[in-house]
Amino acid sequence: MAGMSQQPTDGKIVVDGIDKQFRSGSGTVEALRDVNFAVEEGEFVCIIGSSGAGKTTLFRIIAGLEEATDGTVWLDGEPIEGPGTDRGMVFQEYGLFPWRTVLKNVTFGLEQRGLDKQARLERAREMIELVGLDGFEDSYPKELSGGMKQRVGIARALAVDPEILLMDEPFGSVDAQTKQRLHEELLDIWSATNKTVLFVTHDVDEAVTLADRVVVLTGSPGSVHEVVEIDLDRPRSRTDDAFAGYEQRLRDAIE
Amino acid sequence: MSIDTSTDSESGLFADEELLESGSRRRLLRGTVGTAVFLLIWQVAAMPVPTYLLPTPLEVAQAFIVELTAPATFTVPLLGAEFTLTRMLVSLTDSLYHYIPGLFVGGAAGIATGIALGWSELLDDAITPVQRVLRPIPPLAWIAFAIVWLGVNHQGAAFIVGIGAFWINFYNAYAGVKGVPQSTKEVAASLGVDNDLTMIRKVIVPRASPEIMTGIRTSIGQSWMIVVAAELFGAPGVGFQIINAAQNLALDVSVAYMFVISIVFLISDGIFQRVESRVLVWRE
Repeated sequence: MAGMSQQPTDGKIVVDGIDKQFRSGSGTVEALRDVNFAVEEGEFVCIIGSSGAGKTTLFRIIAGLEEATDGTVWLDGEPIEGPGTDRGMVFQEYGLFPWRTVLKNVTFGLEQRGLDKQARLERAREMIELVGLDGFEDSYPKELSGGMKQRVGIARALAVDPEILLMDEPFGSVDAQTKQRLHEELLDIWSATNKTVLFVTHDVDEAVTLADRVVVLTGSPGSVHEVVEIDLDRPRSRTDDAFAGYEQRLRDAIE
Repeated sequence: MSIDTSTDSESGLFADEELLESGSRRRLLRGTVGTAVFLLIWQVAAMPVPTYLLPTPLEVAQAFIVELTAPATFTVPLLGAEFTLTRMLVSLTDSLYHYIPGLFVGGAAGIATGIALGWSELLDDAITPVQRVLRPIPPLAWIAFAIVWLGVNHQGAAFIVGIGAFWINFYNAYAGVKGVPQSTKEVAASLGVDNDLTMIRKVIVPRASPEIMTGIRTSIGQSWMIVVAAELFGAPGVGFQIINAAQNLALDVSVAYMFVISIVFLISDGIFQRVESRVLVWRE
């Protein structure tokens, strides 16, 4: 074991030779085969892929919610062996605690740390302000729109100051207009916090808008088809020719 | 003239409220009429027949007042201290002496067991066969054990009530815990919840609280049904009064005590409904 516990290449997150098979009734279904890539500190990386290429499975393995059949995911040189607060997770269906107010959702992770109440409230209010939800501290999730719910999800994930932000199609259930605003806000938060972001999406446009680099998963079982660097200045404009060029390239890649 | 205008603007401002009020006033009116018609039919139907077959509403009301005011002494079980109350209040207090302990102990045990089995697959697998066999048995069927272990008294009746409250609360808590989405537990784990006890306390129980509350509320009502049934075997209380008066052909008294059950149920259910809506403000 001692000889194995060595991260193979440099990087904040290193996905190293991940295989995943699911046992099903009559045999095994292979979801991922030999997936390799690395994410640098402070980088914004999107994972896109055709359906069935195992994006969500890969997300769950990096999150520590699913065990890889073979291979290791490294975070800061340590193998990932379960869920933890070093990865702040944001889910498509928000995953808010409906019985807690906005403020109490954001303090949840801080309570587990044993932070005192004063410090918890201070940190939570700071995060709520960061995502632009000040004034809604005492609202319950049922009273919020989809976009606001996901802002709470982001604030809650950031509150525990994770090493990376892991997002699984976080804006998949909001309307196009809200989505665009959330993209801008997420990029602002990203530059304000210098977090490393790993963002799973099936939306090519979203990937080109947000990412420094895009990891393209294809095939079944899924593996890395290519990694595309998006060399565009931010804020990016959809009407830009280069933007459209990247979109086309990614679309071709996943088809 | 000026007064007229101000009333106009006010009625505009509060139009919705007034609409609401007129709706509830209409409901009240219809309810009153319906009740009056019911009592009238009852009165007409009961007049030609003797009281021991069907008492009239007036006879029941009379009996109710007599029972409510006739003095009687209540002896505190185990302590032996005596209080002067009225016949109805003595019976009610007697019933509460097995209703409350049965409901609390049985209900708490049911909730705890439901949470434990809902959470632990090991316990669930191990206990489910026994649970499946025991659950369909009506609480009253346990009367044999109540009699031989505890006797026909408060403890025996509380035991029966407790069994009823146990199953209702067990099943609701169990279903509530089973219904907690996997994703909710995963989010909690990603936020640093790393042991079962914290997960149960901070995630499972709050998330399952609507179902747990439904169990408590159902058992508050059902336990009254069980109280009456348990007292038919002789434990003192409202249920005993119902059967005892009937055996003396004093059906007016019997029906008066039937209404006692109804009134107590309505009050306790109303109180709990308020508690529930306060605790579950977050519910969609």
